[in-house]
Amino acid sequence: MEQPVQTETWKARSLEELVRILHQIFSEDKVSVEEVQALMESYESNPEEWLKYAKFDQYRYTRNLVDSGNGKFNLMILCWGEGHGSSIHDHTDSHCFMKILQGNLKETLFEWPEKKGNGEMTKKSERVLRENQCAYINDSIGLHRVENISHTETAVSLHLYSPPFDTCNTFDQRTGHKHKVTMTFYSQYGERTLC
Amino acid sequence: LPAGLSQWFPALEVLDVSGTGLAEMGAELLSLPCLHTLLAKNNRLGGPGSLPKGLGQAPLASSLRVLNLSGNRFADVPPVLLRLRGLRSLSLGGNRLHSIPPDIQELRSLEFLYLGGNFITSIPPELAKLPSLKYLVLCDNKIQSIPPQLAQLHSLRSLSLHNNLLTYLPREILNLVHLEELSLRGNPLVVRFVRDLTYNPPSLQELAGRTVKTRNVPYTPSDLPETLVRYLSLASNCPNPKCGGVYFDSCVRQIKFVDFCGKYRLPLMHYLCSPECSSPFSSASQSSTSQSESDSEDEASVAAHRMQKVLLG
Repeated sequence: MEQPVQTETWKARSLEELVRILHQIFSEDKVSVEEVQALMESYESNPEEWLKYAKFDQYRYTRNLVDSGNGKFNLMILCWGEGHGSSIHDHTDSHCFMKILQGNLKETLFEWPEKKGNGEMTKKSERVLRENQCAYINDSIGLHRVENISHTETAVSLHLYSPPFDTCNTFDQRTGHKHKVTMTFYSQYGERTLC
Repeated sequence: LPAGLSQWFPALEVLDVSGTGLAEMGAELLSLPCLHTLLAKNNRLGGPGSLPKGLGQAPLASSLRVLNLSGNRFADVPPVLLRLRGLRSLSLGGNRLHSIPPDIQELRSLEFLYLGGNFITSIPPELAKLPSLKYLVLCDNKIQSIPPQLAQLHSLRSLSLHNNLLTYLPREILNLVHLEELSLRGNPLVVRFVRDLTYNPPSLQELAGRTVKTRNVPYTPSDLPETLVRYLSLASNCPNPKCGGVYFDSCVRQIKFVDFCGKYRLPLMHYLCSPECSSPFSSASQSSTSQSESDSEDEASVAAHRMQKVLLG
């Protein structure tokens, strides 16, 4: 993904259509970030269409694979119970789109820690994303933590990562120290995966 | 709740009255013999009459498994709630609680307890008497310390403590064998050894008690007043392996940093019997502990292997 190409204005009328258009967009050599973000936002969340992927775990948030984009991208649904949050993490040189399907998620952006950093990481900004909004991040923008800060509502989000990746670094907010983690799927294509 | 509810739906198992503005749930609940799930979040419950009197005697007391009262106005946990002996999951997230009643221990079947988003300042040690508790959420409160007794929660798998006022944890936290997730971000955890911990010199009673214990002075209940016999039984062993000593009330609280696989350093509070009783590796004058003491290192590497998902931040 480099310079913006001729951007179309897509409207995805269903999750199925969203996936189909994504396949179309990603079959090209050049893909526009703005185009993908607008497409993701255009889809109006309809729980009937994604409920089968939305498997919650009571202890932590889950990652549920929806489509593997012919190897060009991973599309997955994340389910966040009340109070569930992620660590601060990077995106392994990939592009990350995050669209809220239900509830709200707080995104806190952080600066990359200094090379020999040994102090508290610097918060850049934070915002609460509402239903149907779509955020974008990549490593050049920074790092982020995503959390469901509600104590009464669950949250569901749709994520697109391109190229797909299964490892990333998590960061200790107090020291900036990083540590590589492998991510796994709680379910794939609607089926629970046991590992 | 509509009158006659139990007549129309006698076999009701799940009742969801969330987001209905309910301020009271009355006697209609008492005659629902099959109800196992009651969801009443985001209402106006919290005043007297929120839960019906007689709840303890109703079939509900043994049939109810899941109760969600999050997003209401409870300033304290209604005592009648603690009579729900069969309860497995309780949520009081996002209310106005300032404390947790010690009688919470009556909810013997509790596995899931969500108390995030309140104004809780401390945790009663009685909470540790819940034998089946697997998931405990205390995030977004005002908690300043964790009682060491919490380490008795043998079934605990996930502990959420983020966004509180914790400066350290009790070292006993390492004993939670099944703990896989621990969230601690947003706490003012000390990052450096705290120099000025006060030490109250031991009383004469304590000094005598220490001598009796360390010198193994024999005694029987007929030798001493009952209060002193009980006092002697409360002796704690000094964790310093090089000291065989005991202490009662007077101890030095020391913060030791325990490494988890070299990734996270948790400040753990432990008690030594005197300021002189530190091992050669750490003393009151050390500014930061880059080396852990050998005993805590062994414990830490075992605990770290278990606590793979320590979410510090």
